[in-house]
Amino acid sequence: MLFVATLAIIAISAIAFVNLNLNENIEAMLPDRKTDTALNFRLLQQAPFSRKVIVNLNKQADIHGNELVEITDRLAAAMTPPFFTRVVTGPGESLSLDFFAWFANVYPSLITGEDIKNIEQKLTADQIRKALDDLYVKLLSPEGSAMKTLFQIDPLGFRLKVLEKMRFLNIIPKMRLENGHFISPDGKNALIIAETPFEITDAKRGREMLISFQNLLASVVPDTISVSMISGHRYTLENINAIQKDIVIILTCSALGVFTLFLLFFRSLGGIFVFLTPICVLCIAAAGISVLYRNVSAITIGFGAVLLGISVDFAVHVYFALRAATGNPSGALAQVSRPIVFCALTTLGAFGVLFFSSLPVQRELAVFSIIGICTALILSLVPLPQVVRHTQMAPYNEKTYIKTKFRLAKGWVICLWLLLLVICAWQGTKLHFDGDLRSLNLVPDEIRDLENMLQRTWGNFRGTAVVFAEGPDLQTALETNDRVFQHLTRNPNSSRIVSLAPILPSLKTQESNRQRWNAFWSDGKKEHVNQLLIDQGKSIGFKFTAFESFAKAIAGPSPPVTVEALRTIGLAEIVDTLIIDDGKTVKVLTLVPDTPEIAALFNSSDFNRTSIEFASQNQFRKTISKAIADDFFHFILKASAMVILLLGLLFRNLKKVLLSLIPVVTGILFMIGVMGSLGIAFNLFNVVAAILIIGLGVDYGIFMVTKMTQGLDDATEKAVFVSGLTTIAGFGALILARHPALHSIGLSVLIGIGAAIPAALVIIPAMFRNGMKISDEQN
Amino acid sequence: MKPAIAIALILYLPAVVVGQTESEKSDTQNKIFSEIANSASQVETFSCDFLQEKYMSMLDNVLISKGRLYYKRHRRLRWEINHPSTSGFAVNGDQAKRWEGNSGQTQTFKVNRIPFIKVFTDQVFSWASADFKRLKQRYHIKILSDNPIKLMLLPISPQEKKYLDNFQISFAADASYVSAVEIHEPDDDFTRIHFLNTVINRPLNDSLFN
Repeated sequence: MLFVATLAIIAISAIAFVNLNLNENIEAMLPDRKTDTALNFRLLQQAPFSRKVIVNLNKQADIHGNELVEITDRLAAAMTPPFFTRVVTGPGESLSLDFFAWFANVYPSLITGEDIKNIEQKLTADQIRKALDDLYVKLLSPEGSAMKTLFQIDPLGFRLKVLEKMRFLNIIPKMRLENGHFISPDGKNALIIAETPFEITDAKRGREMLISFQNLLASVVPDTISVSMISGHRYTLENINAIQKDIVIILTCSALGVFTLFLLFFRSLGGIFVFLTPICVLCIAAAGISVLYRNVSAITIGFGAVLLGISVDFAVHVYFALRAATGNPSGALAQVSRPIVFCALTTLGAFGVLFFSSLPVQRELAVFSIIGICTALILSLVPLPQVVRHTQMAPYNEKTYIKTKFRLAKGWVICLWLLLLVICAWQGTKLHFDGDLRSLNLVPDEIRDLENMLQRTWGNFRGTAVVFAEGPDLQTALETNDRVFQHLTRNPNSSRIVSLAPILPSLKTQESNRQRWNAFWSDGKKEHVNQLLIDQGKSIGFKFTAFESFAKAIAGPSPPVTVEALRTIGLAEIVDTLIIDDGKTVKVLTLVPDTPEIAALFNSSDFNRTSIEFASQNQFRKTISKAIADDFFHFILKASAMVILLLGLLFRNLKKVLLSLIPVVTGILFMIGVMGSLGIAFNLFNVVAAILIIGLGVDYGIFMVTKMTQGLDDATEKAVFVSGLTTIAGFGALILARHPALHSIGLSVLIGIGAAIPAALVIIPAMFRNGMKISDEQN
Repeated sequence: MKPAIAIALILYLPAVVVGQTESEKSDTQNKIFSEIANSASQVETFSCDFLQEKYMSMLDNVLISKGRLYYKRHRRLRWEINHPSTSGFAVNGDQAKRWEGNSGQTQTFKVNRIPFIKVFTDQVFSWASADFKRLKQRYHIKILSDNPIKLMLLPISPQEKKYLDNFQISFAADASYVSAVEIHEPDDDFTRIHFLNTVINRPLNDSLFN
C-alpha cells in the first residue's frame, strides 16, 4: 500500500509538473512593484529602443549613391506583419519648405523670454539694415525665390531662434538625414528601427521572427550590403541555445560522476532508489507550488531543481545507515533519523529566510524548497528504508570507502585551517557585487561586437537615462515635461538632452510665450520696427510693401503647436517615440546622458519630483547591486541565526552548535575569499548558492557532531563524504557551463562545498579530539 | 545632339509640340531624350558665365546678378555669383558649402538640409545622368517649340507646385547652346538665366567643388 500510494503521488506530481505554467518574466528577479528598483525597471522597459528591433545596413563596396537608401527602403517594405508591425527608416522628408513656413507661423508660441532678450538686441537700425542686406543677397541664390515668402513674413529671422531648438530632437546622436533616412556620418550605414508584437521572452516566436528576417535578407539585400540585426530576442535565443548545449554537457558530466559514485559506493538496486529520490522530490515540490501559485517563475523551478539536490543527502544517510546495520535495521534507522530530522529542520530554517526576500522569485523559491525538503524527509524515512531493506545489498566492503587517514598533527591541521580562514576573510573584503542583470546573460562575441559597432556608428542612443513626465492627459504631462526641461537646462552639466519641451511645450506655456511676445511688441515697438524695415529696405531696393506680412504676423494670432501639427510637418516618429499614451496616463519622455551628475539633479531634495520618474541603467545597476549586497548579508545573517537557533534547540550545547557550524563557516568564507581574490563578482545567483552551502554545510556538521558525540558508526563519515561528492558531481559540473548564470552557481557551490566537506571530515574530528569536552559525550 | 544641348537639358527641360498626336509627342520626346542621353554621356565637365534676372514683386527693380557655373561628373557643381555681391555654393556629392561676401567664411552643410538647393542640384544631376525615369516621375514634360527648341517642366508634386509653376528652357536658333532658362513661380515672379561662353570638357580642378 505504501509503495502504491507513494508511486501514485509521484505519478500525479509528475503530470502536474509537466503541465506547470511557467512564467519567464525577468521581473520576478526584481524587488516587488512597490520598490523603486521595480519601478525603475518597468520604466526602462518603456525607454525608446529597449524593445525594438534595430537593423543596421552597411555598404561593403563602393556602390552608387542611392543604392543604400533604396535597399533600406526595400528591406523595410518587406518587413511586414505578423513579425514586424511598425518599421521606420527615418523621419521622412521633414526639412521641406512647408517645415520652415510652419515655423515662421508658430514661433511666437515657442519663443521664450531668453529668446526675446536676444531678439531685442537686433532691432536697431544698423542691425535691421544688416539683416536686410543679408536677405537681399539670399534672394540672388537659387533658394531665394522659394524662400521669399518666408523672408517677407519674417525678414529678421525670428523663426531661426525656434529652429535652433530642433537640436533637442536629435534622438540618434551621430545620425544625419539623407532623403529622410537615418544615415551614418560616413554615409556607409543606414538604420531601420522596427517594432515587433512578440515579447522578448517569447523564444518560439522570436526564433520564427529571426528566421523570417534571414529569409528576407536573402531575397532583398544584395551581397554589396551587409545587414546586422539586434533585438532582445537574439539575446533570449542565444541564451536558450547556450543553456541547451550546457545542459547536455552538464548532464553528461554529472551522470558520469554520479555513475562513478554509484560504482564506488552503492552498486545495488537500493542505490538506484537513492538517486531517484531527488527526481521524485522535484516533481512533488513543483506540483505543490503550482497549487499555491498560478504562474510559477521558470527561475524558481530551475534554481529549485538545483537546490533540491540537497534532498539526496537524506537518502544517502539512510542508505548507508541501513547497509551498515547488522541485524537491526529498525534501530539503525531510528538512530540516523534524529540527525536527519535535525538537518531537515536547520535546512528549512536556512531556506525559510528567503521568505523575507523582496524578490518574488526568492519567496517562491522558499515555498518550493520547503515543500521539497519536507518531501525528501518523508521519502527518505518512510518508503526508502522499505525499498532498501527489500533489495539485494552488496556486501559492505570497507575498501570501497575512500577512508582518508589524516596524518598531520591535529594542532597543525587546525592552525592551517584557521590561517586559511583568515586569508579567505581578508580576500573576501575584495568581493564586489554585480547588479547588472545583463552580466547574467550570455552575450556572444558577435552580439557584443555588433553593440559596439552600433555605438561607434550611431552614438550611444540605446544607453541614455530617461526622465518620465506623467499626467492623466497630454497637457498635464507636457506641463510636467516643461518643468523637467527647465530643471535640466538650468544646470550646466546638462548637455545632449533630447526633449520635446522646446518644440512642444504645454498649451499653458505656449499661451504664456505668446502673451510675453505680444507684450514685447506693445508700446509702439511694432510700428517702430516696421518703419525701420521700410526705411532700411527702401535704401536697398525693397518696395515699401515688401514686409507688410511681417507687420500682420506680429499683430495677428499665432497658431498653437500641437502633436498633430508636428506629425504633419514630418516629426511623427520623434513625437511617437517620446510620448507614450496607454489610455490611462500619458508619459512624455526626456532622454539625458546616464551620468551621476544628471541622476543627482533628479535625486536632489530641492527638486519637486511629483509626477516625474528618473530611470537609468546605471542607477538601476547600482540599486540592484546594493539590493544583492544587502540581501546577501541579510540572508547570511538570518539563515545563520535561524540555523544557530535550531541547532541550539536541538543540541542544547554551545560547543556542539559551534562544531556543527564549522563546515558552514568554512564553505562561506572560502566561497567569498576565492571569488574576491579572483575578482569574480557576486551576483543574484550566488546569493542562493550561499544558502545552499549553509544548508548542506550544516547537515555535514550535524552528522559529524552526532557521530562524534552519540556514537554513530563509520557509515556517517562515509555518508557525509558521499553526499559531498554527489553535490560536487551534480552542481560542480555547472562550472563547465558557458552560460554565466549556470557557471556562476557551479563555481560558488564547487568552492563552498569543496571546502565544507574536508572541514566536516577533518576539522570537526580534529577540534573534537583536540580536547573539547562535550558535556553529554557519554550519553 | 551637341553637348551644349545636353547642358541645356541638364538645366531643366521638357516637351510638347502643339498639334502632335500623343504617339507623335511620345516619339518626339523619346528622340530628344535619347539624344540627351547620348550627349550627356559625352559630358565630363562644363563651365559657363551666366546673367541672372529676378523679377520679384517685393523689389523695386529687376535684381540682376552675374556669375559662373561649373559642373563635373559625380555630383559636383559650383554656382558662384560675382556681381553685385559675392555669394554662391559648391556641391560635392552630398556635401556642400556656401559663402556670402568676400570674407572667405564658408558654411558647410548636407545638401538635403537646404531644400531648394537640393531640388536644384537633384535636377542638374538627374539630367546629367540622363535619369529620365526620375524626372518624369516628378515633372510633366512639354515641348513648347521645336525651332528653336523651347522646353517646359511642370511639377507634379503638390508640394513643389507651391513654389514652382514651371521651368522653361530656350535654345539658340541652331540649337547648339542654351540661350536662357526661366523659372516661373505661382505668384508671377520669375527668374531668367542667360548662359554664355560655355566650355565643354575642359579639365576642372576638384578644389572648385570642395
